[in-house]
Amino acid sequence: MARVIVITSGKGGVGKTTTSAAFASGLALRGHKTVVIDFDVGLRNLDLIMGCERRVVYDLINVIQGEAKLQQALIKDKHCENLYVLPTSQTRDKDALTVEGVTAVMDELRKNFDYIVCDSPAGIESGALMALYHADEAIVVTNPEVSSVRDSDRILGILAARSRRAEQGEEPVKEHLLLTRYSPKRVEDGEMLSLEDVKELLRTPLLGVIPESEVILQASNQGIPAVHMGNSDVAEAYKDVVARFLGEEKPLRFIQAPKVGFFKKLFGG
Amino acid sequence: MTKTSPVSADQPLRVSGGVFTLSILQLENNDPQKLAQRIAEEHERHPAAAAFHRDAPVVLDLSVIPEEAPLPFAEILQVLRAAQWLPVGIRNAAPAHQVLAESLHLPILRGQSRPAAQIPESPSEESRQTIAQDIAPTGGLLLDHPVRSGQRSYARNGDLVCLATVNAGAEIIADRNIHVYGPLRGRALAGVTGDENARIFCRILEAELVSIAGLYRTLERDHPLWGKPAQIYSQNEQLHITPLTP
Repeated sequence: MARVIVITSGKGGVGKTTTSAAFASGLALRGHKTVVIDFDVGLRNLDLIMGCERRVVYDLINVIQGEAKLQQALIKDKHCENLYVLPTSQTRDKDALTVEGVTAVMDELRKNFDYIVCDSPAGIESGALMALYHADEAIVVTNPEVSSVRDSDRILGILAARSRRAEQGEEPVKEHLLLTRYSPKRVEDGEMLSLEDVKELLRTPLLGVIPESEVILQASNQGIPAVHMGNSDVAEAYKDVVARFLGEEKPLRFIQAPKVGFFKKLFGG
Repeated sequence: MTKTSPVSADQPLRVSGGVFTLSILQLENNDPQKLAQRIAEEHERHPAAAAFHRDAPVVLDLSVIPEEAPLPFAEILQVLRAAQWLPVGIRNAAPAHQVLAESLHLPILRGQSRPAAQIPESPSEESRQTIAQDIAPTGGLLLDHPVRSGQRSYARNGDLVCLATVNAGAEIIADRNIHVYGPLRGRALAGVTGDENARIFCRILEAELVSIAGLYRTLERDHPLWGKPAQIYSQNEQLHITPLTP
C-alpha cells in the first residue's frame, strides 16, 4: 500500500525542498519505488535541487489539466534507480491546482509507487493545503528558532483538521518532527533553541536532526540531493532519518558540539 | 498645498480602545407597528425621557424574539430612527437574526445569553471543527490533544478542560471555568458570556493573555508566577492571579 508523505513547515527557507529531495532519494536508495512531487507552483525549485531542471518537458499542472499523461511528466532520477520526480510549473499559479486534479494524480501514483513524497510550498494557502491534503504521514521541518516553531505548530494544527484523513474521520496523519539547520555550538552559546526546547514546545515525535552545514549549499548548487554527499554529516543524518522512518532504531547523532582538543585550542583550528 | 494635519503620513493610524455606556432597548415582539406605538406612548407619558433619548445610541436586545419569528429588521430600524433613536447594534439575537443584522451592517454585541450562530470572528475551518467535537451533555469540552497556534476551542455552557498544552497563538474559550494540565502558553478566556465567577486553573502559567468575563490582562516572563501553578479569578472588577496551592 502506497504511503503519501508531505514535507511541510509553514515557514519558508527552513529546508523543505532539501529534505524532500534527500528523503525521497534515501527511500529510493533503500529499494523503495518513490516519486517526489513539487507542489510549489510558480516557484519551481525541486527540479533544481534534484539536478533535473533541463529535462522538464511536462509538469504536474499539464497532467492536471489533461495536456499530458502522467508518464510523460515523470522524470527518472539520474542518481537512483527507483526514484522519479514530478516537477511543477514555473509559469502558472497556485489556482491551477484543483482538488479533483490532484486527487486523480495521487490515485494513479498510488498504484505505481511505494512512497509518494510531496514537497509543500511555504505558507498555509491553497498550495500548502493541496500538498498536505492526501498525506498519510507528515514530516514537519523546523529550524531551532521561535518563529519557525510557531509556524510548525500552526501547520500541525492544520494537518489535524484539514487533511483528507481528518475530513473523513480516519486515523489521523502520522506526524514527525525534523529539526534542520541545527548547530550544537550555537545552542551552547544560547543563540538557538535547543532540541529539548523544540520538542517541549511542539510535542511531536522527533524523526531526526540535520546539522547546519555548508554541504547543503554545495549540494543544492550542484543539483545533488544531500543524501549523496559522500560521508558528510548531512548525508549521514538524512540516512538516519530514512532508517528511522522505516522503523529502525538509530541513536541521534550530530547534536553535540565537537569537543575542541587541547592542541587545537593551543595552536588554533 | 496646505497641510491639514501635523501628523505625517508615515505614522501609523491611531486605533485605541474605549468603553461606552449605551441604552439597551428590549424588543418585545417582531412587529414594527407595535414598536412605533409603544415608543409613542412612552414618550407621551414621559416627555423628559423622550428628550433624553433624542439622538441617543441604542442597542437592541432580541432575547425574547423566537428564532423562527420573521424579523422585518429594516422597518424596525426605520421606526427607531423616526423616533430619533440611533440603533448601533444588537445583542442576544438568534443565529438567523444575527445573519440578518450582519447583512444590514449592524454590529452584534457581546453579552450573549443565547448561543451565537458560530464563534464570533471565527478565523478558519479547523477551529470551527474543534468546537463541534466532544461536547459532553453538560456542555463542557475535554481536549486531550495539544491546542496549536491558530486553533481555537470553545466550551459552550460549561468548563473547558485541556489535558495537553495550549501553545502560543492558540485560544481557548469557555462560558465557565478553564482547566489546563499542560503548559498554558496561548490565550485563555473564561466566563465569556459574563460569568464573573468563572476561573482559570493551570499547572504551568505562561499565558499570553488571560480573561475572566471580559476583564483581561497580558502576562510577561517576569511575572512572579510564570511557569508555576496558578489560578486566575475576578473580584471587585479586578483580575487576581494567585498561586494554586492545595
